[in-house]
Amino acid sequence: MANPVLADRSTATPDKPGRRPRPGFGRRDHVVGWLLLAPALVYFVAFLLYPAIAALYYSFTDWNLRSSPSWVGLANYTDLLFDDVKYPHFWKSVQVSLLYTLVAVPLTLVAALGQALLINAIRKGSNLFRLLLFLPVVTAEAAVGAIWRWLYDPQYGLINIILGWFGVPPQNWLNNPDLVIPALAFISAWQCGISMIIYLAGLKGIPDSLREAAVIDGAGPVQRFRKVVLPMLRPTTFYLLVTGVIAALQVFGLVYVIFSAANKSVTGGPEQAGLTYVLHLYLFAFRYDAMGAACAMSFILLVFIMIITALQFKFVKQEAA
Amino acid sequence: MSRRVAGAAAAIALIAGLTACGGGSDAGDSPTLTFWMYQPRTPQAGQIYEDLRKGFEKANNVKVKYVQIAKDDYNTKLSSAIASGTAPDAGVLDQPLVSRFALDKTIVAVPDGTIEEGAYYKGALDTNLSEGKLFGLPLDQTTVGLFYNKKLVPTPPKTWDELKATVNQIHQADSKIAGIVVPKGDGYGAWMWPGFVAGAGGALTDDANKKVLFDQQPAVDTLQMWVDLLPSSPRQITDSDNAFANGLAAMMISGPWDVSTIKDQFPDLDFSVAPLPYKTEPAGNIGGENGVVFSTSKNAALAWKFLQYITSDTNNAKFADAFGGYPTNIKAAEQTAATIEPQQAAFLEQLKVAHARPAVPQWIQVNDEIIAPALEKALSGKATAQQALTEAADKTRSLLGWNS
Repeated sequence: MANPVLADRSTATPDKPGRRPRPGFGRRDHVVGWLLLAPALVYFVAFLLYPAIAALYYSFTDWNLRSSPSWVGLANYTDLLFDDVKYPHFWKSVQVSLLYTLVAVPLTLVAALGQALLINAIRKGSNLFRLLLFLPVVTAEAAVGAIWRWLYDPQYGLINIILGWFGVPPQNWLNNPDLVIPALAFISAWQCGISMIIYLAGLKGIPDSLREAAVIDGAGPVQRFRKVVLPMLRPTTFYLLVTGVIAALQVFGLVYVIFSAANKSVTGGPEQAGLTYVLHLYLFAFRYDAMGAACAMSFILLVFIMIITALQFKFVKQEAA
Repeated sequence: MSRRVAGAAAAIALIAGLTACGGGSDAGDSPTLTFWMYQPRTPQAGQIYEDLRKGFEKANNVKVKYVQIAKDDYNTKLSSAIASGTAPDAGVLDQPLVSRFALDKTIVAVPDGTIEEGAYYKGALDTNLSEGKLFGLPLDQTTVGLFYNKKLVPTPPKTWDELKATVNQIHQADSKIAGIVVPKGDGYGAWMWPGFVAGAGGALTDDANKKVLFDQQPAVDTLQMWVDLLPSSPRQITDSDNAFANGLAAMMISGPWDVSTIKDQFPDLDFSVAPLPYKTEPAGNIGGENGVVFSTSKNAALAWKFLQYITSDTNNAKFADAFGGYPTNIKAAEQTAATIEPQQAAFLEQLKVAHARPAVPQWIQVNDEIIAPALEKALSGKATAQQALTEAADKTRSLLGWNS
């Protein structure tokens, strides 16, 4: 899942009073303006606003996509949260997604920063390495799934062979419920290219004078990293943390591909260990005929993401120091 | 001036853009039958569908319009079409969806006297049942059988006891080779499991009397048999990619789709397929597609005629083959049997004793969310077969509202 483009806060400049009279209603400019805006507005209303509002409505209904929805009030929400006969794996899917987020996001940040530091340090061929490290991002998800199934293979997999050099016995990565999430998180860290590019931009933005001053003050490389680089990268890290958590909570394609390709089964791996929240949602929407409940799940996720994001804005340091 | 021109141009462009989205409707003298199906798997399959279409058009002086949709998107697109009132006259439907669509009256029951029921395989026909009535005709069918590596397994086991003995013997002779790839406790494994339960004389449900039966002895014995196979078939070996085709596992349970894959990609593997081993009686599971007529169709009689045509003695073998399955028409299957490769024969044989899934609208959910985890619980040793299935059966009763 690609990260959204960096949010630009500078565009919201307040209107300056008295600069120019507001165009009056009915003026030609006005009409032309609206007409020129129309395609974008039509797109926004038809493909973003309307589906969102419709989904909110359907979340209060019992709907199988075919017959007309019947209003059930809050029942979908209360059943999802409290009825484990109807939704036996709802909380399991919450747990899986949270665990995945907890493992995948830090791993991705560390991998991205590590790669960015390496590329930033080399003089020659950094373009080539940047390209190579970015490749996993643009590789088709199905191919990624196939490659990693091979790497994680319990008999021939490269990962087990490498671990074998250090005396680690071969593991059954994608079929041992305890290892599924770490294995998936590792793949997402491997796909950290976009975060890496953003970190690289952050690194380029650190003024040389700061580094030179630190050298003059006698700071070694480790101290320079801890006291100069990391604090200066804080806005970048904060941005990547927030968007990374949002993306991780919505992870779907990877698990779908990894578990459906070889096992012909979309139920989320061994003992539902890979049944992420959105995979669970997808199954109810398109496999179990419960689009109403699936819409409710998506709004529960929306509210949850908003709360988590608000908490991050409140408690995580975001200004460079 | 230029502004006015620009404004007018924008308005025209916009209107043109909007109207372009509306489709035209075709007019003609002869009635047109719309039939929704999956995209052909191969160009040859596409040609077979075309030939069948032309044959029907000529014989009946009508038009048939195929709408071919990628299999992955098919159900969603079909649902949206139904919701927006643009459902086709007839279409292909995955077996477990028939009882769901029948429940919300999206499809109509087969009119009395339309077909000779004895002409079809019973298992395949039963997949069209909802509340005891038929809601479609079986178009093609498939099942799973026992793939065996001829070098490791000279004669395939027929019964569970023989299966266990063979599996043990193979793993004892070479600990790097697994006896059999034991199915998993996932949606796919849960689809195969009922075939084995039927082989012990059991069933998962009694639909007519609304009873859940998979906590009873035949089901428990079946799951226990799977558990017993595991020590000689370690997951560490069988979870490897293509364990059977690579010679790491002596046997596996799979369907006809793997016959051609293995032949293409592992030409050196000497293998064949036998019917599933059983305890008391030969049996198997069933999958495949049915043909249904939608309740909004204005050409229902013609639609049933078309479904009869593609499931007839003469045409069903071609159609089912193009679809990737086996004929559901008994006479048509005899033609197929005469020309079939040896590895395919076992499937066709087993389909005679195949049992349809329970005709319960929520069955896919029960399969995925209740039975699959129960199987995995027992297979991973976290519960006994009896415990896992008792719990699962209770959950199923609560979910379906079947209180006994």
